[in-house]
Amino acid sequence: MNGSKVLVLAAAMSVSSTAFSAGTHGGSHGASSGEPGNASEASRTVNVEMFDNYYEPEEIDVEPGETVRFVVENKGNLVHEFNIGTPGMHEAHQDEMKMMVEHGVIQGGKLNRAMMEMDMGDGHSMKHDDPNSVLLEPGESKEIVWKFTEQSSIEFACNVPGHYQAGMYGDVNFTRGLAEQ
Amino acid sequence: MSYIRSLVSAGVLGSLLAPAAVAAEEMMVDTTDRKKPLTLWGVQFEELEYRYSDDDEELGVWSGDFFYGTDEFKLRWLTKGEYSIEEKAYETLENQLVGQIPVSTFFDAKAGVRFDTPEGPNRTYGVLGVTGLAPQWFEIDANFYVSDEGDTSAELDAEYELLLTNYWILAAAFDATVAFSEDEEIGVGKGLVSTETGLRLSYDLVDRSLSPYVGVVHERKYGDTADLARAEGGSTEDWFAVVGARIAF
Amino acid sequence: MKTPMVAGLLGLLMPALGMAGEYNLTVDRVMIDTGDFVKEGIGYNGASPGPVLRFKEGETVTINVTNNLDEMTSIHWHGLILPFQQDGVPGISFPGIQPGETFTYEFPVQQAGTYWFHSHSGFQEPDGAYGAIVIEPEKREPFRYNREYVVQLTDKHPHSGDRIMRNLKMMPDYYNRQQQTVGEFFSDSSEHGFMDTLKDRMAWGDMRMMKADVEDVQGFTGLINGKGPEQNWTGIFEPGERIRLRFINSSAMTYFDIRIPGLEMTVVQADGNNVQPVTVDEFRIGVAETYDVIVRPRDEKAYTIFAESMGRSGYARATLAPEEGMEAEVPEMREASRLTMADMGGMHGMDHGDMDHGDMDMGEPDDMAGMDHSSMEGMDHSAMAMGDSSDPFYAAGSGLMPVAANGGKFLSYADLKAQDPLYELREPTREIELRLTGNMERYSWSINGVKYEDADPIRLKYGERVRFKFVNETMMTHPMHLHGMWSILDVGAGQWNPIKHTVSVQPGTTVYMETEVDEPGQWAFHCHLSYHAAAGMFRKVIVEGGPDSTKANQDIAANAGGDA
Repeated sequence: MNGSKVLVLAAAMSVSSTAFSAGTHGGSHGASSGEPGNASEASRTVNVEMFDNYYEPEEIDVEPGETVRFVVENKGNLVHEFNIGTPGMHEAHQDEMKMMVEHGVIQGGKLNRAMMEMDMGDGHSMKHDDPNSVLLEPGESKEIVWKFTEQSSIEFACNVPGHYQAGMYGDVNFTRGLAEQ
Repeated sequence: MSYIRSLVSAGVLGSLLAPAAVAAEEMMVDTTDRKKPLTLWGVQFEELEYRYSDDDEELGVWSGDFFYGTDEFKLRWLTKGEYSIEEKAYETLENQLVGQIPVSTFFDAKAGVRFDTPEGPNRTYGVLGVTGLAPQWFEIDANFYVSDEGDTSAELDAEYELLLTNYWILAAAFDATVAFSEDEEIGVGKGLVSTETGLRLSYDLVDRSLSPYVGVVHERKYGDTADLARAEGGSTEDWFAVVGARIAF
Repeated sequence: MKTPMVAGLLGLLMPALGMAGEYNLTVDRVMIDTGDFVKEGIGYNGASPGPVLRFKEGETVTINVTNNLDEMTSIHWHGLILPFQQDGVPGISFPGIQPGETFTYEFPVQQAGTYWFHSHSGFQEPDGAYGAIVIEPEKREPFRYNREYVVQLTDKHPHSGDRIMRNLKMMPDYYNRQQQTVGEFFSDSSEHGFMDTLKDRMAWGDMRMMKADVEDVQGFTGLINGKGPEQNWTGIFEPGERIRLRFINSSAMTYFDIRIPGLEMTVVQADGNNVQPVTVDEFRIGVAETYDVIVRPRDEKAYTIFAESMGRSGYARATLAPEEGMEAEVPEMREASRLTMADMGGMHGMDHGDMDHGDMDMGEPDDMAGMDHSSMEGMDHSAMAMGDSSDPFYAAGSGLMPVAANGGKFLSYADLKAQDPLYELREPTREIELRLTGNMERYSWSINGVKYEDADPIRLKYGERVRFKFVNETMMTHPMHLHGMWSILDVGAGQWNPIKHTVSVQPGTTVYMETEVDEPGQWAFHCHLSYHAAAGMFRKVIVEGGPDSTKANQDIAANAGGDA
């Protein structure tokens, strides 16, 4: 294990965490992905199943301002991520995920939790604990509550290296009037 | 393809069937060409040239071979000669028919007969030789001869190719003959008989099938052989300018 | 990105023979125009390459093959799992197809992915007798794409296969125009010093081995889907689409390094089997291998598919473009590869003691016996390879070590992990060592020092799991192809080891693969370089026992012999 690389990784992750959790960083790309939602405000629950390497469903409809509770289950044999973001955010996150694989944090069907928790100094770690995403081993299930604050180009995607490129993403389609029905 | 093939049960089954299977002979015997030794042929003329000597002698000279056979055994016909254009006569004319087998990674042994039928007396020889590639890329051909007159001699050929480019090749060839007894009739004295040294610059015009060249050749006779040549009124040392082509197909 | 994406939809957009289970192929004399030369050859249904055969997983296909040649022929379905009588190797699976005869193949399709077919008779395959097979899976694929193209490569040579074989036997360097010259001696001298250069040349001269011995058969024109670089095969796309490219290397002798400048490629299949996706900038495709990649060109411009031969003696080129006629820059080929002493690591009887390689940067490994991957079991090679660009499937310091042209990621076997393992992991029941042997100066190639003509068959028992140990004792790369059963390539990933049909073994290395012996009958097992196989690097494998063995014996007993 190359110590200096881990530090760089940890630093990169903490920087991006800030960007994600701020949720209002959209100014530069003219798009934001929304913000962590409050479970009590969730209008509905969407079940998302993750397979190798695709989601079911592969698209969801939301209304601007809507808060959705996602129940994400990994039904595949490999580690997968469910991450809500703009294409640009996914691209940036993919570099970090690549480093997690290179450092053995993600190993095919397993997550090395101990390494994720490891303190890299300066309070950095390779925890994957951004509110817009969950990283699941096969068989695991987790929840995300997310508020889609405004209409923008958003995908949910798995940024485990190669998975997004192979097509493991889904579109978030913004509709109007869904709430009225 | 998503199911896992479990072969544990198949393994048990297989081991139960094994005794019966041992009895099963080969299901089909491969009699295709693939199962036979690769049999090939080839023709090569290392030298096929016109020589012009420093005393205005003109010669047509060739040295070539034809082979047919496999890795394990090749039949090779080697032919070389010098034809005097003025005298319309073969100064030398030599044909060998040898069998060739591999004896080491880089060398073959050969055995056969050699027929010399130039202008003048003929000779038949038994031939034993080795041919192959020596370290540092020297192509070596060494032969031992016993003539029908009972005389023995040996000949060593070495060639080295210097790649000026991958198409322009400078080839240096050296050939020396030693006789272990005198055969005056054909002008061979005991000891070092003669050497021929050649330097040829060739260009691969058509693959390696046709490579025209120009060069110089130096021939020299030594010792008793030189004395015999002088007695005959012949020269003991010649320089030639040569032009010709290397051919392979 | 609102385009609806349906995996496999594009199957309908490609010219296909139809989805029905019955296919007709004629074997014909054809003219092959590479743009550089026109040459008579052999093709299927009047063309070389032949048609793309599109099968469906689960169907039983019937293929009527009519031989219009005046010589015997055969078709081998490369990589397909089928009853051995359908495997198409004359003398091993069936007698061959006589001139004028129509032979009907019939077998169930039990797999999906990209494969190919070719003649297994004489040198008909290098002469043009090959085509692609695309099998649509029953279930959805673990990736998505809008469009797909077969990208089938070959190394078309102006000489016929018979003539090439004869020339190689007569002069093993007949086609090698990358040999070290006087000029290279001087340029090396100015770089490394005269004495070291001299010592280096002497060391190689002492072995009578050439550093330039990477590609035996040069002078070919690289073709993609039958088109030469000037003819520029073009695949159309709309910007933003995901395109699946099904790369197939149908070359007689040539490995290609493939890249598409400006695009990353996500490898999703190797040899027809899904692998965990890995994104690369470049990959090397061995002879007879297939790789499926997904690319996503976002810009409204042309991209060049550039396939340089491993030895840089030739290239194939094609284009992906939004419309026909657009072209992108075609890169220059990189400098020719030179073997190093590391690539000689597997050779026996070489005295390396008195050689001073220190200043020549020849990367001599500490252990001249080559790399032994077994000692690295359980380690993640892809993680290991990070940081330096060395690929554990090459001898350390190998002159063939692949490096991406843009400095990025080059695919390694170590990156290949099964997406969904076909077999349970279990201990092999035994190990069989196969030394890949040969003599370049005689152009003779063999396994364990014995040519096919002199060899006994390799006997396996149905139900066992055999671990094959390939030890490459030559200075050439050998793509080893076992017919009929999968080769589980040991990349150190345990149950995630990928399954392949062709396994490349680089000079000076040892590579392991395991095979679940699950198909009865008899099978060919050989180096897929045409002239190596023909020179003897070939074996027959007999699987003893198994459910159909008695019937198989009876079936085949009626057919004796054959004609390659």
